[in-house]
Amino acid sequence: MNDKLINSIQQIMAKYPKKESALMPALTLVQKANDNNLTKELVAEVAEIIGVTPSRAYGVATYYSMFNVNKNVGKYHIQVDTNVPATLMGALKLYKYISDKLGIKHGETTSDGLFTLSKVECLASCGTCPVIQVNDVYYELMTPEKVDMLIDSLRKGVMPELPVEYNWESQCNVLLKRRGEKNATSISVYKKTGGYQVLAKALKMKPEDIISEVKNSQLRGRGGAGFPTGVKWSFLPKNTGKPVYLICNADEGEPGTFKDRQILAYDPHLLIEGMAISAHALGCKLAFIYIRGEFNWIAQILEKAIEEAKKDGQLKDLNIIVHLGAGSYICGEETALIESIEGKRGLPRMKPPFPAVSGLYNCPTIVNNVETLASIPYIVENGADAFKKWGSEGGYGFKLFGVSGAVNKPGVYECPMGITFKELIELAGGVKGKMIGVIVGGLSVPILTTEELKKGAGLKMDYESCIEYGTSLGSGGIMVITDEFSIPEIAARTIQFYNHESCGQCTPCRQGSGMMVSLLNKIVSGKGEKGDIDKVLWFCDNIKGNTLCPTGEAYSSPIKAMINKFRPEFEKLITN
Amino acid sequence: MENTLKITINGKVYDSSPGKTVLDIARANNVYIPTLCYHPRTGKAGKCRACLVEIEGFRGLKESCALEAKDGMIIKTDTEQIKQVRKMIVELHLSNGEHNCIACEKNGHCELQDMAYHCGIERPGFPEYHETIPLDDSAEGIIRDHNKCIECGRCVTACNNNVMHEVLDFGWRSGHTKVICDNDLPMGESSCVQCGECVQVCPVGALTFKNAKGKGPYWELEKKKTICTYCGVGCSIDMYVKDNKWVYSMGTEENWEKQTNKGMLCVKGRFGMDFLDREDRLTTPLIKKNGKFVEASWDEALNLVSSKLGETKAKYGAGSIGFFTSARTSNEDNYAMMRFARGVIGTNNVDHCARL
Repeated sequence: MNDKLINSIQQIMAKYPKKESALMPALTLVQKANDNNLTKELVAEVAEIIGVTPSRAYGVATYYSMFNVNKNVGKYHIQVDTNVPATLMGALKLYKYISDKLGIKHGETTSDGLFTLSKVECLASCGTCPVIQVNDVYYELMTPEKVDMLIDSLRKGVMPELPVEYNWESQCNVLLKRRGEKNATSISVYKKTGGYQVLAKALKMKPEDIISEVKNSQLRGRGGAGFPTGVKWSFLPKNTGKPVYLICNADEGEPGTFKDRQILAYDPHLLIEGMAISAHALGCKLAFIYIRGEFNWIAQILEKAIEEAKKDGQLKDLNIIVHLGAGSYICGEETALIESIEGKRGLPRMKPPFPAVSGLYNCPTIVNNVETLASIPYIVENGADAFKKWGSEGGYGFKLFGVSGAVNKPGVYECPMGITFKELIELAGGVKGKMIGVIVGGLSVPILTTEELKKGAGLKMDYESCIEYGTSLGSGGIMVITDEFSIPEIAARTIQFYNHESCGQCTPCRQGSGMMVSLLNKIVSGKGEKGDIDKVLWFCDNIKGNTLCPTGEAYSSPIKAMINKFRPEFEKLITN
Repeated sequence: MENTLKITINGKVYDSSPGKTVLDIARANNVYIPTLCYHPRTGKAGKCRACLVEIEGFRGLKESCALEAKDGMIIKTDTEQIKQVRKMIVELHLSNGEHNCIACEKNGHCELQDMAYHCGIERPGFPEYHETIPLDDSAEGIIRDHNKCIECGRCVTACNNNVMHEVLDFGWRSGHTKVICDNDLPMGESSCVQCGECVQVCPVGALTFKNAKGKGPYWELEKKKTICTYCGVGCSIDMYVKDNKWVYSMGTEENWEKQTNKGMLCVKGRFGMDFLDREDRLTTPLIKKNGKFVEASWDEALNLVSSKLGETKAKYGAGSIGFFTSARTSNEDNYAMMRFARGVIGTNNVDHCARL
């Protein structure tokens, strides 16, 4: 490692309240400097510079999927998203095309050392699948023709630019207000369209008044759990003598979800303003944006926006650190995310204590989703009642819905809470083919069949209506499934994802998810035996609610629903 | 502390003092709750999910190792759901590892074996093919068998928080999770000092003592409590002996909080006890006569030392004599030696091996 690299690591260390937090950013930096690869020796060197034990650093380096430890990854790491939403949009065919074209399989490198091919999990690009990530760059809406262009260009040493047209629409004009504006990421455009005026207003308000306004708005967390934001904020203990941290959860990893990146990449100042207002309300002087490692280019947009806001005098009393993850779904869980910022493996903590009492560096901490924080300026500007003009008791306000799978216009739509499922699908151009089921809240929620959707007055996209229909609004990531796809195959792919992402701490998840993978793969490959389906269900029943964190439930509920609602399809595969 | 709270477990009411967990109270009253990751000296971890119990008014099952008992709590440990969850946990371990008990050092005091017995599971219901990971017997005193590891994390916590050697941690994730030494080195090549704390807390046969291998199954060993003779700390040791011969040492777990060593041992107390049965062990004073050591009585030996010290002092002065004492003796003995050096002989030449 040269002096420049060591110096850069030391600068990162100085940024954080605790130097150990620099471990992941340092490993990322060193991997980049070493042509996409890490070695045992490099990891040990980083450990020594930062002052952590070699085992801890190696534990971290091998935990996160984006660190290539002893893997000999080629110059261009071609990573094809093959998760469920990607599969619904043809990713497997494209993967095969690339694999045939390059003559390599998953995890292999071409003999010239130029390309390594990997199947990866959801890249939060569900509306623009198939998506390929080459090193740090996303290539969306890929086709065999575009793959040819990409590979040709890479062979010449050039990362090409392949333009993408995104589908989006806004019925509420808040979160996607500036989505169509040119240079909306710049502070000048943001301010021209009213930006940072609410922050000025908020700074004159008493923190408790802001908290009570947010409480009254009944804004619920947009990350997936739907916990009331104002209530979460009010859990912060007073006068502990410890600093309060605010963390924006930008780990967007729930398959089917690609909404937060609309704000992060196209209206970063809206998030920053929301964070600054929230920080003022919570008494926080140092905030973090934990963003998934794959969103490296978005992290750069955020860094630039924070710099601009600072220069403009908007962040007088607040510092915001952008902390890049390195490939772990579980880090979207707030305590795992906190561990990750602390420079550790992304392992969820036992609760209590909850983060509001003891979170980052054992200090009171509030973790909120991007969309949640970006909704704060509107509430503070216009009041809780204005926010509640949208939606009903089942959920108030505006919400971003990501629609993917078999629809004509997959994309992100900003709609009032409580919009009917039917209307939303029409907005997304209608179903392409014959719909057999839909997952409405990200991969972790139970599937609904077409028949179930017809019941009663029709599904509304809010918290209560989704519960009434036996599912959950989750993150609002909607995946439409048609008869072109096999539910057992989707079930097998679903559990593969959760097994891949299991942190490995608790037994039911570490081993149970693996056992479910074996059983479902066995069924899908036609080797299933009588009783195998019930074995899967037995695991679902005993894993649900009995794992250390909510992940066990996040896969046992949807798998159980897929089996129970499409059982004949599973039975058909059992021939033994 | 006074018994001021009452909790009900499986329909029976138990009195207890505040500040105890549900698990503490259950164990104090012989109510069976299995644990794999919890150990009194490494604390709660929430990983094994074996100790889940049902509490009236709580959603879902709760970890009894972490849950503080509150007055009036109504707890069940034997519902059908709990039995099924325990069964699943044992099945998962038996199916994913190589838990063959027959010649295992832990046979008879293995916590997984115990749990499997209580669940009535003899054979894994979901046998999975796994490649056997080679044994790590690179270290001098400890054998690591990853195939028997249940990833409970006790050894990692003990290494980092109890003895603070900071050698062990977890590497990788999901089903690939594995305990590593430093950056995944064989234990013998790592910075491990072989204190053996990890072996002591391991609930299964993943970590065992090399010196105990084949010396006798657990039930043939006798536990004898003693104090380590190596230094003045006075660590409590539970020596496991067979036919009056030392097999291995454990730091005393009983009342560990009150022991000076809090249940831990160092490499000497852990492994250095083989001298007890050595044939060339010194059992009587020896005096060199005509170039050969000859056995002598204590009186003979002390008289010789006394006269030689007197002669030397008379001939060369008190400054020519020095005293070097041992950490294996008590503080009081060391003090007496210091008084002897200064008061009787008249020299300040006195030192102690603990300064090394």
